[in-house]
Amino acid sequence: MAQDASMKIDEIVDGRGLFCPGPLMELIKTIQLKPVGTVLSVLSTDEGSAKDIPAWIQKVGQEYVKTEKKDGYWEVIVKKVK
Amino acid sequence: MERISFVLASDSLEKLHAVGLMASVAAVSQMEVNVFVTMNAITAFRKSTVEKKGYRVEGEVGRHLLEKNGQMFYDLLQQGKMMGSLKVYACGMALELIGEGLDKYLPVFDEVLGVAGFLGKAEGGQVLFV
Repeated sequence: MAQDASMKIDEIVDGRGLFCPGPLMELIKTIQLKPVGTVLSVLSTDEGSAKDIPAWIQKVGQEYVKTEKKDGYWEVIVKKVK
Repeated sequence: MERISFVLASDSLEKLHAVGLMASVAAVSQMEVNVFVTMNAITAFRKSTVEKKGYRVEGEVGRHLLEKNGQMFYDLLQQGKMMGSLKVYACGMALELIGEGLDKYLPVFDEVLGVAGFLGKAEGGQVLFV
């Protein structure tokens, strides 16, 4: 799995198999409990959710890193900055 | 906070689910959300309806929703309430016409309101009628 050299994943939120808004809700529940600076990787088989996550991140002021299409699912990487 | 209010008047599973989804995502996106459950929509929240899954399904997507065992509209509303600012109101008129009290319904309602009360809560924000 390719990663930016500077970006270590601290927490994986596996939302594969959940449909909207499952992956987003799982991300929110997890990110609330983690310290600032945590990098999370959200896995989703639902394309709508993969797009929802960056939208939510922007709305609440967290950091969106990138989205990668994997084999049969999407990986959305985000960082808790506040 | 941005405010958005939904008037949920339909008992169709598709519409109940759409509002459950939109209201809960709005709530976790730091919006202030109100859901006014009126007309036939309130019958979908009856405990006996929920137990039997006796919802009115409009078509194909509704059938999938019933089969899939995902989160139901009332779970989504509960989730929105726990994770953000979401209030669910029961329409007083609908309850009175039916002749039942809230004890026969899922414990998701914050209050019983009338139209004037709801308009007050919705003031200044977007309102969607479903």
